[in-house]
Amino acid sequence: MKFKSLWPGIVLMLLLANDAAGQETAGHEGHGGHQLVVDVDGVVMNENQSTLPRDCSEISRDYKLTIRAGKKYAADVAGAIFGMDRHEVRVEPCSRLTVTFVNEDEVRHQWMVHGLPRYLYPAGMFHIEASGGRSRTGTFIVPGDDQTFLIHCDMAQHMEKGMRGQLVVGAGSGNLWGVKGVSDQFYRAAYLPPKVMVLIGIILLISFLISLRLLKSS
Amino acid sequence: MKKRWVFLVAVLIALLSCPPQWYPMPLRLKLSEWFGAAGYRALPSSLVVAANEPQVFCPPDPSGWREQQLIEGVLIGESAACVADNPYAVAAFVRGTNNIEQSTLLKSGLSADAVIKGRDLDGDGDPDEIHIRLEVVELNGSSGVLSGAVTQYEIAPGIKPGMWVFAPKFVGMAVENFGSQKARPELRLPSPAIRIEAGDKVTITLENTHYMPHTLHLHGTDHGFVDAGGEGNDGVPIASEVPVLPGNARSYELNPRHAGTMFYHCHVQAHVHVMMGLQGLFIIEENRPDNWVQTMNVGAGLVRAPSRAVSEEYDREYDLHYLDLDKELSERIQQDNDPRLVTRSMHREYDITDATVDYFTLNGRSFPYTFRESLLIGKDNDRIKLRVVNGGLKGIALHTHGHKFTVTDRDGVALPQATQVPQDVLWLATSMRADLSLELVNDGLHAYGPGIWLFHDHQYQGITNDGIGPGGNISAIVYEQYLQEDGWPKTRGVSWDAYFTEAYYRKEIPVWELYAPGLFSDTGFDWLMVLRMLGLALSLGTMLAVISMGIAKRGRGR
Repeated sequence: MKFKSLWPGIVLMLLLANDAAGQETAGHEGHGGHQLVVDVDGVVMNENQSTLPRDCSEISRDYKLTIRAGKKYAADVAGAIFGMDRHEVRVEPCSRLTVTFVNEDEVRHQWMVHGLPRYLYPAGMFHIEASGGRSRTGTFIVPGDDQTFLIHCDMAQHMEKGMRGQLVVGAGSGNLWGVKGVSDQFYRAAYLPPKVMVLIGIILLISFLISLRLLKSS
Repeated sequence: MKKRWVFLVAVLIALLSCPPQWYPMPLRLKLSEWFGAAGYRALPSSLVVAANEPQVFCPPDPSGWREQQLIEGVLIGESAACVADNPYAVAAFVRGTNNIEQSTLLKSGLSADAVIKGRDLDGDGDPDEIHIRLEVVELNGSSGVLSGAVTQYEIAPGIKPGMWVFAPKFVGMAVENFGSQKARPELRLPSPAIRIEAGDKVTITLENTHYMPHTLHLHGTDHGFVDAGGEGNDGVPIASEVPVLPGNARSYELNPRHAGTMFYHCHVQAHVHVMMGLQGLFIIEENRPDNWVQTMNVGAGLVRAPSRAVSEEYDREYDLHYLDLDKELSERIQQDNDPRLVTRSMHREYDITDATVDYFTLNGRSFPYTFRESLLIGKDNDRIKLRVVNGGLKGIALHTHGHKFTVTDRDGVALPQATQVPQDVLWLATSMRADLSLELVNDGLHAYGPGIWLFHDHQYQGITNDGIGPGGNISAIVYEQYLQEDGWPKTRGVSWDAYFTEAYYRKEIPVWELYAPGLFSDTGFDWLMVLRMLGLALSLGTMLAVISMGIAKRGRGR
């Protein structure tokens, strides 16, 4: 399989037309206004090595971390299909993170941070996508205030089925719902054994009858 | 003693409250004999329907995707209907994602290895080594955090059944943008129509991005039971191989010897998975020199870069994929987020033998959205090729207004010339395919002249959205002179404003409200009747209380 061009490291700064959100066919050309780095291993979007957020005077610390992703990391988590080896990342304000995202599955996965300052990161996103069996590294700088950011994989249903985490900057701004090992799901089933509601109904009836008898005799 | 009086008053109120229309018929007749007919009381007036702002019928095309254009040397034909496929993706599918410029690839949204086109094995000027990658996407699924559906896809205003589709391999988010839960436009029903050339050496890698096991079964397509490596290649869990688990990938191989319109689908728990949308057209084009085929047609519909053989005989080619959906099945993926509960609900609690289907799609949309993208557009004397599959549970009686079409191929095999006679209803059983030749020749047989001529399933469930008409798979053959600049047909009948509201398909708008306001509206209310009901409830309650007190007293007395 020959390639017309070999791409590793080609940097493309793209400003593509983005339709207004809510319009019927919004998103004609997907990555509106983002800076993309694409190669055969995947995608890094909105990388930022050096531009400081407005509330930072210097880079407080450099973190280098590796995040591993795949179904392997969900094997011991009830009700999850996909997962990461870390679902929570805690860093100091104004620090620089270099994340190597290692995909141990045979399908695409993403490590996407949301809610970052929009003047620095288009749509407030920093995003790494790694093809199956590949890894991809990207760098970004977090802002200076205490905040909690959503980390997820934006493949359909991957967040819902386990790939949901949080990036806590400083003391954070409270935990997000549904982060594995950190917080509960917002909507969850009741997980009752079969026919238990029949038993509950019988107990309700018995309690009613006993109370009636007691009230009558008093 | 006091109780007795209370009881009597209650009985009196009950009798007075009881509406005359509830009196027994002989009593009513007797009463009118004695006292004459009751006085005139006007019936409640009609209710005024709350204003519902209709959606935009024909979304604008800011990127000029509808126009004919040349990209990467590929002539992308005009797509005259309102909503067109991304021409950059079309070009990428024709050339292969490995043979195009970076900028085209980025505009296509596809991953670098979505469709790899390799060597020209027969030396006729087009690639014969084709490697296609497919992912599995859940639309309108559940979330443990949000209350509504995620990765949303509407088949018609407000209608979002849960479904699964095969999808080309794109990069980036599954939604339009972070602020939206709407699926990006490429992730949609139906699964893409796949096109190859007879004699191609094709590898299809199923990258299972979904949370359940799936396979790929090449229905009607020439392929070995095992591949060159001796691995199972038919996609059937009980006969050929273990399914592809979530996060895993598997390649299927084929080298088809005959051209024809075939089918592909998942074969894991097929009665559920195929009905959820894991099915698509699989088309093998005739082998011709310099024949670069459009390997995928996202959402089926118009083929913007048709093959050599089709272009020789026809002016245009459309892929038509019919699929019905059972809402009692599709809502199951929205009820829980835990895959164990979803699996149990879909495969053990759902019983397809009790199923009735509710939504009827053509190329992934139901009326009125079919008119945005699934019109068959032509002009006098055009010949149009239609490749039709019925992937639904129910058979389809496909009918064209104003035209008689000819079936040229059935299940991917050409029919003898003698049997190719014009007809206007075609029965398509589940999974059946037919190639149709639609000739816009105004000879009183093949066509009756220009217009906006509907084509639809003549089994009447099929022209509704869950029982509300018009809906379902209604679309139209539209002649160019009946088409506006923006691609919307110049319809002459009733206003469509109601059909482009969610309220209409929630059954909240009377069906003829827009052109006969008030005449067939919902009725207002008889407030005197409400008063009578109140009196009845109060008096009967009092009567019951008096009776139970009496019973209790008698019990204590014993």
